[in-house]
Amino acid sequence: MDRRTMLTALTGRRAATPAPAAPPDNDTTLAPYAGPWGFEQAAHLLRRTMFAPRLAQIKTAVAQGLDATLAQLFQELPMPDPPVNYLSNNDPFVPLGDTWVDAPYSRTINLRNPRHRSLRAWTMGLLLAEGVSIRERMTLFWHNHFATNNVNDPKYLYRHISLLRANAWGNFRELVKAITIDPTMLRFLNGNENTRVAPNENYARELLELFTIGKGEQVGPGDYSTFTEQDVAEMARVLTGWRDRGFNAYEEVPIEAFFVPNRHDTGAKQLSHRFDNEVISNMGNQEYAHLVDVIFRQPEVARHICRKLYRWFVYYKIDETVEANVIEPMAQLLIASNFEMRPVLEALLRSEHFFDVLSMGPVIKNPLDFVVSAVKTFDFDFPDNYRLQYEAWWRIFLQTPAMQMEYFNPPEVAGWKAYYQEPVFYRTWINAATLPKRMSFTDTLIINGLQAGNERLRLDALKFIKTIDDPYDPNAVVESFARILLPRPLTDNQLAQLKEVLIPGLPDYEWGVEYTDYEANPGNMQLAVAVDAKLRNVIRVLLSIPEFYLS
Amino acid sequence: MQRRNFLKSAGATAVSLPILLNGLRLSAMSQSALFNMIDPESDKVLVLIQMNGGNDGLNMIIPRDQYSGLAAVRSNILIPENELLKVDDLTGFHPAMKALKVLYDDARVGVVQSVGYPNQNRSHFRSIDIWTSGSPAEKFWNTGWLGRHFDAEYPGFPEGYPNGQYPHPFAITMGSIVSETCQGTIANYSMALEDPFNLFPLFESEGDVRPDTPYGNELDFLRTSIVQTNAYSEKITEAANLGSNQAEYAEGNRLARQLKNVALLISGGLQTKIYVVNIGGFDTHAAQVVEGNPMVGEHATLLEMVSNAIATFQNDLKAQGLEHRVVGMTFSEFGRKIRSNESLGTDHGTAAPLILFGSCIRPGMLGENPEIHRDVHPSEGVPMQYDFRDVYGSLLVDWFELEESAVRSLLHENFQKLPIIEDCRMTTAAQTPLLDDFKIEAWPNPFDGWAQIGFTLERPAWVRLSLFNAIGGEVQVLTNQNLGAGAHRIPLEGSRLPVGTYFYRLQIGNQVRTKRLVKVG
Repeated sequence: MDRRTMLTALTGRRAATPAPAAPPDNDTTLAPYAGPWGFEQAAHLLRRTMFAPRLAQIKTAVAQGLDATLAQLFQELPMPDPPVNYLSNNDPFVPLGDTWVDAPYSRTINLRNPRHRSLRAWTMGLLLAEGVSIRERMTLFWHNHFATNNVNDPKYLYRHISLLRANAWGNFRELVKAITIDPTMLRFLNGNENTRVAPNENYARELLELFTIGKGEQVGPGDYSTFTEQDVAEMARVLTGWRDRGFNAYEEVPIEAFFVPNRHDTGAKQLSHRFDNEVISNMGNQEYAHLVDVIFRQPEVARHICRKLYRWFVYYKIDETVEANVIEPMAQLLIASNFEMRPVLEALLRSEHFFDVLSMGPVIKNPLDFVVSAVKTFDFDFPDNYRLQYEAWWRIFLQTPAMQMEYFNPPEVAGWKAYYQEPVFYRTWINAATLPKRMSFTDTLIINGLQAGNERLRLDALKFIKTIDDPYDPNAVVESFARILLPRPLTDNQLAQLKEVLIPGLPDYEWGVEYTDYEANPGNMQLAVAVDAKLRNVIRVLLSIPEFYLS
Repeated sequence: MQRRNFLKSAGATAVSLPILLNGLRLSAMSQSALFNMIDPESDKVLVLIQMNGGNDGLNMIIPRDQYSGLAAVRSNILIPENELLKVDDLTGFHPAMKALKVLYDDARVGVVQSVGYPNQNRSHFRSIDIWTSGSPAEKFWNTGWLGRHFDAEYPGFPEGYPNGQYPHPFAITMGSIVSETCQGTIANYSMALEDPFNLFPLFESEGDVRPDTPYGNELDFLRTSIVQTNAYSEKITEAANLGSNQAEYAEGNRLARQLKNVALLISGGLQTKIYVVNIGGFDTHAAQVVEGNPMVGEHATLLEMVSNAIATFQNDLKAQGLEHRVVGMTFSEFGRKIRSNESLGTDHGTAAPLILFGSCIRPGMLGENPEIHRDVHPSEGVPMQYDFRDVYGSLLVDWFELEESAVRSLLHENFQKLPIIEDCRMTTAAQTPLLDDFKIEAWPNPFDGWAQIGFTLERPAWVRLSLFNAIGGEVQVLTNQNLGAGAHRIPLEGSRLPVGTYFYRLQIGNQVRTKRLVKVG
């Protein structure tokens, strides 16, 4: 038996052999996966590309196969309806239920706060309502990649995030062009203050260091092997002249970027040998786009973004084997497809590397993934009234900042630390304060329910058990629950312990008796409460064990 | 029952499953009578108060000898001269800081003037990173200045911690985010703590076999984190129950609430070395003061909170005989611009004073008042006198007894120890000054292309002379070397510099002078 076969067996139900010292490398490649397609593979694919699939979605994916599931993940969708005013009775421009994304601000009433809140609630609503699509995962990927914060105008943020969503798996190079003159980015990295007289290098530096080519090893004074300080200074000059308008405007004016010729440096900009000594001049308001084209001629741009995709979708550790077997072929594919993202994403998500057993389970869920998976998996009943719905989404949204992740507020221009901070990466999510936040959140959902307006969002265990195939056998119940909720199978011993939680000290058939009784008498509160309490206990354990923190 | 339980409770007390599952928190954890203490007398504590947002230092420690300049450039927010709490002929505290002034008069407060770093970054995030990592402005360091110190002392952390020798958390951050100051290479040394009386055991599970895969590795990490959190929580709960407070902390003061818990835990015997507490709200772009009454407003409220919280904390420690074990320091990511804006506020600036407190600090003012001219450029901040890394390093050397060589590698090569700690451990022998103020001069001033800076050394010394622009950028290092005794003249070739205000900063040993120089067209 070779090592991989052994490991596959080990991580399955029968794990008994003592473990070797260090985990082996995942030495598989980007070649298409040709192994079995079952629940485990389908669930893995959907968990990594969506925010928590439901059981029915996984079953459909199993039935329709890998190709059809991938096609569905990349299916074009209309843009979601914009967020609406759900809070403010005294917004002079926007009645309740209408969208505020094009409405002006008021000099007398603070409209930013309710709109900020609406935007955030709406975003949580999108995550909770998503179907089988990679769009929200990719939108957040770009939000992490082109991280902006502290631009205090929700209309700007809506426009910005819509740009990312519309280009979720579009063309990377064109997206960089759009971001370069995106009003939110112009403000965030001071592009709007970048002028001929006082060049501001802030955006030029991040464009190179974070957004495109990445910062390599320093090999000389001001030379980071991928770019030089000279490039930063000269590119800042290329990018001079852009401004934005509409920020917190009291009038109904569109938010837009515009070019001011007399703020633009018309001189020749001399790039370094890292960019083949390219000289850029006299292109006016097209100079920025040309600059992006020049940067994208360097193959390192493709490698840099592919490493980020890998850390987003697979695992944080990139060693030489992964670099050679996965990153480099991805980068070549990206270049060959003219920086269209879909081919490279599809290649990664259908690769033998992605479906290797070593790729399964080691991603520590970020707080959004954690919170959404605890809610969405169970198909909570949300209120029908849109105001109550928004309020419930808002309450769920509020859980994640305390766990150190807040949509629209990445802590740094480099994004969330989990995706770049060597050597800890995903582990930055976990500390003595965030762990209790995670555990008390899941406890709240299961025990008392999360307060949302006048209602409480409380897990419906009796609804959840009806989704599984065999609710009568306690072994099947705990195994099914574990399969839906956890990335890898539990051991026999763990399953036996879980069954003890379901039916402490009783023979197996007693569960079947109790459950059948309840089914036959659904109106009998006593029977319902008894079965419900037992199920709740099991689910509580399943959401509290660290296996649930992994994907 | 011998079977190892998949569902194991935290701590020494076995907790049966039904209790956990009924949603009850275990309020009382095992409390051993013999609390594990090594030698509390030898343990020194550093309390950091992070003032988030960028504190307007010019409105906290007011240079009275510059009052006419201040009146010209920030009249809409300036405290009336006769309301200042005078500490000497030159300086005064903001009138909201009466409690701190009492402490100052009791020789328990030291002020280091104009602390900052070369090439000031005026972004909150970036500047906080610089202050917490202790990096130069141009470098991105992933570890905190204290985290690097801990890395050297406790290799391998968190693997194997806590243990019998180190049962307590090395550092605690009050709140829900661990402080970046304590970020080590592998893990953060500080434990985030919100309420020492509301810690409950996290659910501990035990997988009997950990698969040897990346999945197994991460699972192991999670299990270790949960176990470690529980173990530290148990010690914190013990200390909280054993400790006490002997001073009345104001209920509504959010900084005092945190310091109260710090005093409680120190008093309860927790061996934690570093506590980090936070107070936000210093980003006073607008409404820093109430229109027409600069005595009150957001900034006054904040300063009063800081002042009262520190004073109560110090009184608490004093009453419990713990004063000699604790030193405290404030810091903020930057000071604010010298000119106030039209919105009764101030914008992001450069250096600012920081406050040290405790019975072991060197009391009084260190450094000179900044010069405030009536013609300051709108973008100008207070230029730096002292490098923040020299303040950090001096604490490490004189408080935590590190070698200076270690500090050089942890912080920066040019480390110069500042006299900020005394009494408890005297390392700064009284010396005659190296520098005679009256002989420092830049000529011509204003200059239009070329100038020279002259000074006289009483004896040979290391000298660093550099030129800063109005927004804190270090534009030229004019000299950085050992020079002999006697008169020196350092040329400044400034013909390519843009016209405007500059500052030359002359550092001789641990003495610093920052003076103004103007370039004209």
